[in-house]
Amino acid sequence: MKDVYILAIESSCDETSVSIIRNGCDEIATVVLSQMDMHANFGGVVPEVASRMHIENITMVLEECLNKADLDMTDIDAIAVTYGPGLIGSLLIGVQAAKTLAYLYNKPLVPVHHIAGHIYANNLEKPLSFPLIALVVSGGHTDLIYMEEDYSFKRIGGTLDDAVGEAYDKVARVVGLSYPGGPIVDKKAHEGKNTYHLPLPLNDDSYDFSFSGIKSAVINLVHNEKQRGNVINVENLCASFQHSVVEILTKKTMRALKEFGVNNLIVAGGVAANKGLREKLTSLCSEENINLIIPSMKHCTDNAAMIGAAGYYAYKLGRRANLDLNAKANDALQ
Amino acid sequence: MNKLFIDTASTKRIASVITDDKIKSIIEEENGIDLSVRMLPIVEQVLKDAQLLPTDIAEIYVIDGPGSFTGIRVGITIAKVYAWALKKKIVPLSELELLATTPFKGNLIVPYIDARRDYAYAAIYDQDLNIYMEPCHISRTKLLEKLPKDREVVFVSYDHIQTDYPVIKPNIDIVKILNKHRNDTGVNPHECNPHYLKMTEAEEKMQNGVLHD
Repeated sequence: MKDVYILAIESSCDETSVSIIRNGCDEIATVVLSQMDMHANFGGVVPEVASRMHIENITMVLEECLNKADLDMTDIDAIAVTYGPGLIGSLLIGVQAAKTLAYLYNKPLVPVHHIAGHIYANNLEKPLSFPLIALVVSGGHTDLIYMEEDYSFKRIGGTLDDAVGEAYDKVARVVGLSYPGGPIVDKKAHEGKNTYHLPLPLNDDSYDFSFSGIKSAVINLVHNEKQRGNVINVENLCASFQHSVVEILTKKTMRALKEFGVNNLIVAGGVAANKGLREKLTSLCSEENINLIIPSMKHCTDNAAMIGAAGYYAYKLGRRANLDLNAKANDALQ
Repeated sequence: MNKLFIDTASTKRIASVITDDKIKSIIEEENGIDLSVRMLPIVEQVLKDAQLLPTDIAEIYVIDGPGSFTGIRVGITIAKVYAWALKKKIVPLSELELLATTPFKGNLIVPYIDARRDYAYAAIYDQDLNIYMEPCHISRTKLLEKLPKDREVVFVSYDHIQTDYPVIKPNIDIVKILNKHRNDTGVNPHECNPHYLKMTEAEEKMQNGVLHD
């Protein structure tokens, strides 16, 4: 069978990334240009700044990736691009670039949902086994997805308000930690103890999550302690917050595995790098005999390799877009 | 020689193929929120209408601002990826200079784009597109101070402007601006980026010492 090379573009938030993936699993070359240092100056991602940086970098990242792969555009079978969800101004740069390349070289254009990309990041580590449950956790998403086979996505639950990574960043800000706060909260949590006993958010029978309440609980707690003249123990507060968040994420995920009769779990998204979450899931999955796949750190955060992996399966299924493809800030995974 | 012209910065979105100083094909539409959907199909169509393949284009001229930030980025992304991929010459042009190609009676023309809060993107050109005042983001008051009293000045704008000077609607001349820049060497496609003429609000706040509001 002829090898299929997908050139993938990802620009949904603050990373400009291009990757070339062979047959949905071999990463030939990936270039990721992160804007994190720039946005750290503002304490979070500024959409207009992100869009400006994407357009400045897009052709350089494309060139570097092709050079790294030692390929040219004629070697490419199809162009995959993240069309959504994400920051609209950022997505537009990747989408226009992908459409232009598809037009110039008369190549198929494959639209890829960002979450499908996060899920298929795992395919770069090990071929996915079905059926599976995917827990997608990042700064923009928190979803539980059931997959019967390749590229069939059934969302069984997700956040009703803030994404889990967003809550981490907000909590970090409230306790005076720098941006991006998620990894620092995780680190501090390991140095502290669960002394503040925060409630488990949306501890019900659904597969949905809610993180705005626990975020507010932390804000109120910090505010009240300050009013009383008490010093906050940052490590303990991080440990307490992380305990509640990890507890609810793992509780609902393990229940989903049981109820759907599934023994494959994959974790995806930037928060998959969270040590507390990794440790808890590893231990629970080992007890329950569940096959757990968590991508390596470089595939947890946004990158085009995952879009190329997902794009390959979308390409095989015949999913195509025309030159009128638009970026979508919000779109359901299908 | 075939040249491709792209403008997505303004009220109108335009793609045109110009061959030997004549417009061979052109599509001009009212700009709107569907710009990112429409623009590449428009480019594809003007090439088809001119019976050309993408490789037949020798030079790309693209408007790099000022104007709608998102609008400019759509046009420039298409143009820079095109120029980079097929190794074509790319020449960025100002939207204000394009507006100044409108025929007018007088000595100087002031292309004017409303930038809200009593500011505008403006420049001043003479009949031959020589620059009298460089494109800038400027308050209305300062702009009026810059206008010479001893010359006949005309404003050109898609916007409704309240001024004592005569204001005319744009009637742009693509061939004129391309001829003016025919000897430009062009830029490296990697460096063909928008000229917003204005920082982002976040950057302005940071510069003014306001952080994390």
